[in-house]
Amino acid sequence: MRRCLARPAAVIGLALLALLAVAIVFADLLAPYSPIMADPLHSLESPSSLHLLGTDVSGMDVLSRIIFATRINLLVGIVSVAGAFLVGVPIGLLTGFYRGFVSALVMRLFDFIQSFPVFVLGMALVSVLGQEIWNVALVLAVLFVPLFARLVRAEVLSLRERPFISAARCSGASDLAVMVRHLLPNALTPALVQLSISVGMAILLTAGLSFIGAGVRMPTPEWGLMVSSGAQQMILGVWWVSLFPGIAIVIAVLCFALLGDEMRRLLDPTRHRR
Amino acid sequence: MRIVLARVSLIPPQLFGVLLVTFMLVRLLPGDPALLMLGNMATPDAIASLRQRLGLDQGLWTQFVRYLGRVLHGDLGTSIFTSHPVVQDLIERAPATLELISYAMIVTVTAGVGLAVLSVIARGRSFDYVTRVYGLAAGALPDFWVGLLLIFFLYHVAGWAPAPFGRLDTYLTAPRAITGFYTLDSLLTGNWADLGSAAARLVLPVATISIVNTGAMMKMTQTVFAGVYDSAFIRHARASGLPQRRIIVIALKNSLPPIITTAGFLFGFLLGAAVLVETIFSWGGLGQYAVQAVINSDYPALQGFVMVAAVFVLLVYLVVDVLYELVDPRIRI
Repeated sequence: MRRCLARPAAVIGLALLALLAVAIVFADLLAPYSPIMADPLHSLESPSSLHLLGTDVSGMDVLSRIIFATRINLLVGIVSVAGAFLVGVPIGLLTGFYRGFVSALVMRLFDFIQSFPVFVLGMALVSVLGQEIWNVALVLAVLFVPLFARLVRAEVLSLRERPFISAARCSGASDLAVMVRHLLPNALTPALVQLSISVGMAILLTAGLSFIGAGVRMPTPEWGLMVSSGAQQMILGVWWVSLFPGIAIVIAVLCFALLGDEMRRLLDPTRHRR
Repeated sequence: MRIVLARVSLIPPQLFGVLLVTFMLVRLLPGDPALLMLGNMATPDAIASLRQRLGLDQGLWTQFVRYLGRVLHGDLGTSIFTSHPVVQDLIERAPATLELISYAMIVTVTAGVGLAVLSVIARGRSFDYVTRVYGLAAGALPDFWVGLLLIFFLYHVAGWAPAPFGRLDTYLTAPRAITGFYTLDSLLTGNWADLGSAAARLVLPVATISIVNTGAMMKMTQTVFAGVYDSAFIRHARASGLPQRRIIVIALKNSLPPIITTAGFLFGFLLGAAVLVETIFSWGGLGQYAVQAVINSDYPALQGFVMVAAVFVLLVYLVVDVLYELVDPRIRI
């Protein structure tokens, strides 16, 4: 614990995580207004004591929407990455362990998926599947599966020739036991580190997809959509509609990036940085 | 040279895979493509005739072969929104995007490598610390948001930047197309008004992309360059009394292979980033076309864009592999 506190990055990361957690759990208490209630009489009001972060085009309170959007943005980020992890890790384990025709085929499939720019493929898939928030989560999960599978597979490939694996085999362990009990715990570290960083990436991608209109629709509170709803006015000097949701995105992504960095240090005692 | 040939021979199977993905993108996903293309207001008759025209009443494999045949003949279908052939639309818009991401690429790689080298040399000093904070923060910045902030501060508040609408001031006509890059074309035709305007209009979008992506480039280069800079042969060079600048050049040369790989990856990635940045700056390139396609459910256009994006990435990786061979003699067979 004390070692942890000595690292400012870890402290900031945990503090931001706490902030996000509070916003998620106490959204109803914290938000001064309804996040989806339009009030055309008070549209585009600048920040004041009534509306701390101002109001958007349809008069919705920016602060309330930012607070409520935390739920959607983090949920999509976490669910999609968790899904990709749960599917990708077993695939990585299996393709690393059994190197047959099917394994090769799966890896080629991953090559194809990864040969498209992530955002482009994500945009196309969401648009074809239907522009709904759960489709965004599903698409991001599909796009992240190769990432986790590759990390685990690479570890398994280097571990499988090591003596402790041969020892396990000689003592009569089945394939399944070797994979789950001996390979999995040792092959998981890079994927775990990637977990947190990927949540940040997923949040950025979700926001980007919503920004171009390929994610959620109004009036759902979502950060990317909020930035986009203020984009037109930004040129005219109405800065608060887009500025604040953007800061929320930065906070969330930064939080998971910092935690990912810390996790790398904690899980990898051999690699001390200067 | 043999590596180049071996590498080029990999292109057809990769292309086949790309086409398979773009084909499945529209065909295998839930819902009837004919219904998707015509929208919910379509009459059953219209759907049936479109299904027949698209060959949807035939087996999936036949459909794929037909799709392959059409793509190989340069037919990517007709855009529902612009009602032009998709190929024509894409060719018209490609130079705008390429110009944007090429300049963004140059700035990002130069700034990223430059900052990395300086921070490694200034190790432990405040500059090193600043670059590390920037490297961390840059990865968390949404590019579309950075673009809007730049517009607000540099166009609205300070008034330094030109209006964020398109590639050229509205009263100017585009220079005669030679390369399709407005900056190069206006330079070649001596059209100075166009050159100034095109360059000024490039500043904000290029800055947007560079601010967001330089961080990743810099972090990668820092790791590689620091490794080389601390290695025995550099220490030997320093002990032999070579001047600092010469040492940096040598160390940089030896860090090139991973830098080239990262840069290549980045180039492909920027095509995705361009989608968002073009939307903000009304750039009129491929990215904005793709966004229009998404908003209007224009599936032939979307399919075409995805295919072009993947082919672009394949070509970039090909160039990367060839360059890699040139700078790293060890991988030659």
